Amino acid sequence: MKLPNYNQRLLSMETRTKRFMLGAIAVMLLVLAMIAAKQDYFSRSTAIYFFTPNAQGLSKGMAVKFIGFKVGSVQEINMEPNATVRVKVSLDDEYVHLIGQDAKARLVKEALVGESVVEIIPGSQQVKQVRQNSVLEFERGQDASTVVENLAAQLQPILSDIHQITSSGDIQQTLKNLNQASGTFRQTVNEYTQLGANGNKAMERINSSMETLDKAIPKLVDKADTTLDNVQAATADIKKITNDSAGEIPSLVRNANALVQDGQETLGGVKRSWLLNSLFTAPEEQSLPVDGYVAPPQP
Amino acid sequence: MGTRSTVSILCSLVLLTACGTVDEVRSARLEQATEFNQRGQRAFQRGEYQAAATLYEQALQIDVAIENESGIAINTLNLARVNQVLGKTALTQRLLDHLLEDKALRYAPAHLAEAAVQKALLRLQENDTAGATLWADKAVAFCESDCRIAGVIDNVRAGIALRANDADKALQLSERALSANSDVPLERANALRLMASARLMKNEAVAALNLTEEALVIDKSLGLPEKIRQDLLLSAQAHEKLGQAELAVQCRDRAARIAATALK
Repeated sequence: MKLPNYNQRLLSMETRTKRFMLGAIAVMLLVLAMIAAKQDYFSRSTAIYFFTPNAQGLSKGMAVKFIGFKVGSVQEINMEPNATVRVKVSLDDEYVHLIGQDAKARLVKEALVGESVVEIIPGSQQVKQVRQNSVLEFERGQDASTVVENLAAQLQPILSDIHQITSSGDIQQTLKNLNQASGTFRQTVNEYTQLGANGNKAMERINSSMETLDKAIPKLVDKADTTLDNVQAATADIKKITNDSAGEIPSLVRNANALVQDGQETLGGVKRSWLLNSLFTAPEEQSLPVDGYVAPPQP
Repeated sequence: MGTRSTVSILCSLVLLTACGTVDEVRSARLEQATEFNQRGQRAFQRGEYQAAATLYEQALQIDVAIENESGIAINTLNLARVNQVLGKTALTQRLLDHLLEDKALRYAPAHLAEAAVQKALLRLQENDTAGATLWADKAVAFCESDCRIAGVIDNVRAGIALRANDADKALQLSERALSANSDVPLERANALRLMASARLMKNEAVAALNLTEEALVIDKSLGLPEKIRQDLLLSAQAHEKLGQAELAVQCRDRAARIAATALK
């Protein structure tokens, strides 16, 4: 009686082991399928390439975005024999028709502290769409720190110019000369008034003053020219900085907005989760308290 | 079935129940209306009444569009209250009538009671004591059980009694309002002010002065300029009755300075 019972238990154990193994394999397959789906193995895609002098900031799996939507990912990053870097990008076929062959790939940061992504800058509509193995032009976008560094680097000479202008003594000397000339002129006029009859002598003094002015004015003009040149150089530098940064600022602002929106959505999701939703009561419309007092008419 | 299996099944059921908690579905429109309402509340508290009116109007518009009855009642009442403060009495009347005479939608009795109280206050403002009494009675009728504004109604009735020169009744009603509104500072101060007026009417100036000072402390803590001004005017009257002309002048001067700011 014992042997059949033992066999039966063995059979039962074997069945349970089989079920467990099948369950485990099913779970593994499901996980693999999910990973594959995440890696876009199930979606048809087109491979394109771009080349860059170095792979700094690039990584495998990095998102590729087009007008803010994820349209693909970085598949491979390889070093070429000529020491350049070849980056293979997989684009969803769904979006390929939107990207022209003259489009550019640009490495940008999603926000001030966000992840880097490869952004596809749309090309001309007339140009043909990208095809399998097309090569896009690549450029690196400026992140916030680069913009700040550039700004600092370009402000440095301006500050030096201003310092030079104010500390060289040109301005002070010019003003001093002008002051001296006007003082002499005033003295001469006074003397001319007082002396009256000795007009000739006074006229001589006027002539002398005029000579002083004649000498001072060219110097003044020269120094004013130098000052204006310096100011013009500073203005040109400022304009250049503004132009350099102009392209990046809207992108930074847009990305910051997206980051805030993502943060709000995440917080909303967390608040709604069953573990925490009891801690955050949903706000409701409230009425103002009724004020049961009417001031008596004043005498 | 073993104990372990039973425990496992129970734990799973508890977990499933927790996961299955269905959160109340709130539409984006409703959330938007709530946001406008809350911004309106903040504007009202800061004394930015025109801004509050605009925000309540926006909230009301959305509530009407999504037929949120509770929101419609709340924002109509709020809008009426703001317009009353802004001195737009006719508009306030129209808004309250719209709520009280609406046949298509059914509002909560508590909201209708609030509307009736506001109507009574408007009648009282126009010295129509009969009309005010009528609306105060209607408010009581709407507010049958668990009446949150019973103390407010008592204050309104005390106000009506004062207009009718019935100091005793006013005192009795305002004392009842004071005990009913122990946790509502605004109405507590109102009750104290009404009691002070009743005491003044009975020539009990010292008691009136004490009550006014108590009300003044509360109104200052609430930051209500118009109420502070009323307290000071009552204090001035009490000082006059006590023969303290100089103190009365000081109180009137303080009240005038508040009035000069034109803040309510």
